[in-house]
Formats: sequence, structure tokens, C-alpha cells
Amino acid sequence: MIGRIKLVTLLGIALIACCCAGAHAQQQVIGAPPEASNMKLVGSNDLQARSAYQPTIHRQGDRYIAYIGHHGGTDDIPDPINPLTGKAEPNGTSIVDVTDPANPRYLHHIPGQEGKYEGGGAQMVRVCDGKALPKGDPSAVYLLRTFGSEAHEIWNVADPANPVLVTRLGGLKDTHKSWWECDTGIAFLVSGAPDWRTRRMTQVYDLSDPAHPVKIRDFGLPGQEPGATGAVPTELHGPISTGPQGNRVYFGYGTDKGGMLQIVDRGKLINGPKEPTLDNLRFPEIARMPMSAFNGAHTTFPMLKMPVAEFAHDKDGQARDIVMIVDEAIVNECGEPRQMVWFADVTTENRPMMISSYTVPEASGSFCERGGRFGSHSSNESMAPVFYKKMAFIAFFNAGVRALDIRDPYHPTEVGYFIPAITAATDKRCVTIEGKDRCKVAIQTNNVETDERGYIYIVDRANTGLHILELTGPARAAAGLP
Amino acid sequence: MHSRLIAFGVAVALLIGIAGMQPAWAQIEGWHEIAWPYPRDGWPAGRAFRCAAEACGGEVELYVRPKIGFCNCDTGVADDEEVDRVADLDLISQRFVPLAAGQRIEVADMRGRSRAYDLTMASGAQHTAVGIALSHRCDLLVAVAQGEADAVQMRRAALEFLATSEMTRWMASALGGR
Repeated sequence: MIGRIKLVTLLGIALIACCCAGAHAQQQVIGAPPEASNMKLVGSNDLQARSAYQPTIHRQGDRYIAYIGHHGGTDDIPDPINPLTGKAEPNGTSIVDVTDPANPRYLHHIPGQEGKYEGGGAQMVRVCDGKALPKGDPSAVYLLRTFGSEAHEIWNVADPANPVLVTRLGGLKDTHKSWWECDTGIAFLVSGAPDWRTRRMTQVYDLSDPAHPVKIRDFGLPGQEPGATGAVPTELHGPISTGPQGNRVYFGYGTDKGGMLQIVDRGKLINGPKEPTLDNLRFPEIARMPMSAFNGAHTTFPMLKMPVAEFAHDKDGQARDIVMIVDEAIVNECGEPRQMVWFADVTTENRPMMISSYTVPEASGSFCERGGRFGSHSSNESMAPVFYKKMAFIAFFNAGVRALDIRDPYHPTEVGYFIPAITAATDKRCVTIEGKDRCKVAIQTNNVETDERGYIYIVDRANTGLHILELTGPARAAAGLP
Repeated sequence: MHSRLIAFGVAVALLIGIAGMQPAWAQIEGWHEIAWPYPRDGWPAGRAFRCAAEACGGEVELYVRPKIGFCNCDTGVADDEEVDRVADLDLISQRFVPLAAGQRIEVADMRGRSRAYDLTMASGAQHTAVGIALSHRCDLLVAVAQGEADAVQMRRAALEFLATSEMTRWMASALGGR
């Protein structure tokens, strides 16, 4: 009898525990306020309920314009209506005037490649002024974007409400997050050249005259080149160059698996032998840092010569060259190892070493139960002095954006966060359980960017739009903002 | 009463255990399950099987596992290079050369491609292998067979084994129930 009582008691405790776990799942609901700490909402725009990838904020005269790349449409709405034209348009590039961040004004939508999710759209966008480019039209402002998986395009957005196509580089099997040096015009385009053994590698172009692109070379990891055999190294995600002054390009390979940081001598890459032979692909490489098979390198953001307060009295090594590496979570509801943020000390370039990491504590929001992806995706890539080497902002899917104090990169510390509220436009995210879809609705903060004024722009993969934020309280003080 | 409950529980556990220990593919002639022979990598271990020489034209080992979220949701397994990349050949050897262009295949409502290879092992020995990649939505089911049979026999044996009801049930479960 005593045994039975114990059994009933244990069952009761288990039942209560289950109920409590459910209560703490913190499922987002429409109408609930955003969740925030030391960050506040300044303004927003629904981006015509298009799934958003990358925002780039560009100052054009006395205006600030946000260019936002989109994924393809959804099963439910493949081609959303553009209210400005009244037409259904495949997701492409949104152009939003954010001069007044409290009242962002949607100016134009450039349609992208027909197709749903990653199969369409125009995810990536970079912008350079014509007057900065060596051979550009000084009156032009050039937008470099992907066109789905098949092309790169350059548009003149000097009048952001009326973009004009300048150039198209097509014939590709994939594209992704490219880098464009505005002072030289050299572009590191993430492409899928048809004859290469990988979906994504690098095509280096001289886009100093955007109307007349000049190809310099193809580049990738040995084993990816045409005609190679054997194991194929992890595909490229994206590069970031420090230009002729820094003479380095930091390549990130992998998204959520088998990641790698590759440090490349920019001069040797551009001026070295160009045929994609094993020797020529190895020639510009300075070092590689393989990561765990559990993690990928989505963004490799260099922060060179960072003074580290803790090392201030050391006779050597007071300043360190740091690369922040951000993995990308790709599976809903924690169906993979945690994707997070890593800091590598690359001061001794041929011996890069991981020194610290950061993730959002899952239990702080029961994020594995909220729906959609939980984990990092990307960081801001602006090197404007307002935040550079002081604060980093990380898009963390259903955990919103996280503000990190990185002044001591050996000990990065979260100082703020913002998780937007969901709306009627927020799309569901599903997992398959016993053959059936089980779907939840949650914010999916995909990318983040900052501008030189100190505003933070986050965009949502699940169609909730653009949110413009600012730091408050201790986070604002940590950034040195008034 | 207490001891009766314990005895009942032990009996149930034994029955469940015995049922669990009885592999369904023990009924598939020539094949039996072996331990997954490779160290942990980015993907969880899958299942490994060996086919006797009499049944498969030479001893064949087959390694099968799902790769969740690793497939282009729209294009599926697009080309032979994708088979080179994803089919786990590199678990066996980093050095492999395709023998010919791959073939389209369909197993249990999943479409994909298979391709035959020559593998050069660390010892220098040559092996034949067949890589298999099947897509389901944004997920992959990959398999690689290696052994003594020739490529045609190996491919046929591997695909027949994957198409058995026992294996298709397991694959469906491994892909979230499909």
C-alpha cells in the first residue's frame, strides 16, 4: 500500500513538472509586447511581409537608406503583393528610407528570382558610392545584389525610389554573401561556378567600373576545383576583406557543420597565378583554423589590433587581432548541435586559436520549445567607429538580437537583447513528428546591421519585417554613447 | 503484492528487451547489422550492415544515416558532385575517384542519385564503393556501400536492401516520421 502511495505521489509530481515546463515555454503570441533588456524599439516596417536576409544601411547625401535582401516567398504566398505597384512580385530587395528611424518609409521593391525560400529571392546586398569607386560614375550609387542562385546584379540606386539595372553576371548554380571593397572596387563574389565541385566558392572581380566587370580569378579550397577527385571540402559561406591596407581576406566556410576560418593574403590572391590548380589555390593562403564538426563559420568578422585592458601592462601582446566567428543554426527546434559565437585570436596568424565563445542561455527563454530556429546566424558587419571593436550584435533567430560587450574579447558579455513581438504576418515554422507537421510561430531574427549613428537594424526571416533599435541604460554606456 | 508487481515489471521489460534485440533485418537474407565503425563527426552515427559474399556477390558493408537540414529543399540531390560531397565516402577514405556518371534513383518515395567510385585506402589498397544520396524535403538520407562485389552488384544489393520494408520504416522514422 505504501508503495502504491509512493507511485501515485511520483506520478503527481511528474504531471506537475510537465505542466510547469509547458507554462515556461514562453510561446510568443500576437499582441504580446517585445522582450527587451537595454535595447528599445525606435521604429519598424513590415517589408511587405517578405522573408528577410541581409540589411545594409547606406548614407546617401543627407539621407540614410536601408537595402534589405530577401529570401524567396513561402508556400502560402510565393509572390507577395507590392502595395506600391499593386502587383504580385517575387521577393527581391526592399529599399527603405530610414533617415527618420522612427518613421521608416518604404520606397521601392526590386523583384528577385522566382522561387520559394532559399530557392528564390535576392538575399545579399552591398552598396558603394560611385565617387568612392576608382572608375565609377560619381553621380551613381551602386547596389550589388544576388539574383537568387543564378546571378549577381549591380543596380544604380542614386535615386533609391527608381533603381536602374547596370550589370548582370549570370550562369551560376548558386550565390551567397559577397564582399565588395568600395575604395578599390575589388569584389569577392560568392558564386557557384558551374564546373566547380562545390555550390559556393569565390569569384574575384574588379568592379571598380560597375558597368564593365572584369573577372580576376576563381578561388576555393583545394579539392573544390574542377577536375579534382576525393573528398570535397566544406563550401564557402562568405568572405570579409580588410582591403589593401590590411591585405587580408577572412573566409568563412560552412554554415552549421565542419566550419573553417581561412586567412588569405589579399595581394597574393588578386595578383598571384590564377589557374585553379592545387598549388595556385594554396599560394595565397596564410592559415586555416578548422572548427568542430558541430559548427560552421557563417560570418568571419575581423577586429584587428584590439587593445585588451587585461593585457595593458604586458610587455608584448597588449593588442590582439581578433576574428569573431558566427555559426548559423539551420534546423528548427534545436535539432542540431548549438550554433553560437566564437572569438579567435589570430595575432600569430599561422597559429590562430579560439579564445572564447558566447551563446544565449537556452533556459532564459525556453528557446528550444518556442518554435523555429534557435542559435546564432550572423553579426553586424559595419566597421563604423560607433560600435567597432566595442559592441557586437548577433542575430539569434527566436532569441532576437543580442548585444555583446566585446571590449575584452577573451570574455564577451551580453549587455542587452531585443526579441520583437510577432504579428499576423509572422510565418510558422514546422518540425515533422511521426510523419506530421507540427508548427509554431516565433520571431526568427535573421540578420542585423548597424549604422554610423548607432541605430541597430534587425530583420526577420519569418516575414515580420524590419525593426530599428537603439541601446539604452548600461549597454548604451558600454558603447560610449551619450 | 509488491513482489508480484516487480515480477510483472521484470517480465514486461524482458519481453520489450527481447523484441528490441531482435533486428527486423535479420530476416533479410544475407544481411546483418554491425557496429557503426567510424568516429563521431558532424552528424550523429547511423547504422551499418554487412552482407555475406554469397548473397551480394562479394562481402559488402553498407553505412546509412540521415543528414537533417543538409539538402537544398527545392532542387534535392541536384548532380553527381552533390553525391561526391554528401554520401559519406570520406568516412572510408579521403581519396576516391568516380568510375562513371551517376544514376538517378528512387527508394521509398525518395529521389536522388547514386554513383560508383574507386577508393584508395590508407594502405594503398583499392576498393569499390557506391555512394547514395536521397532527398526528402530539406533532409538527406545518405548511404555508402563498399566491399568486394563489383560496382553493379554492390549498387543493386544496396538499393534492394534500402528498399526493404524494414529499412524504409527505419529511414522514415530517422527522417522524423516523414
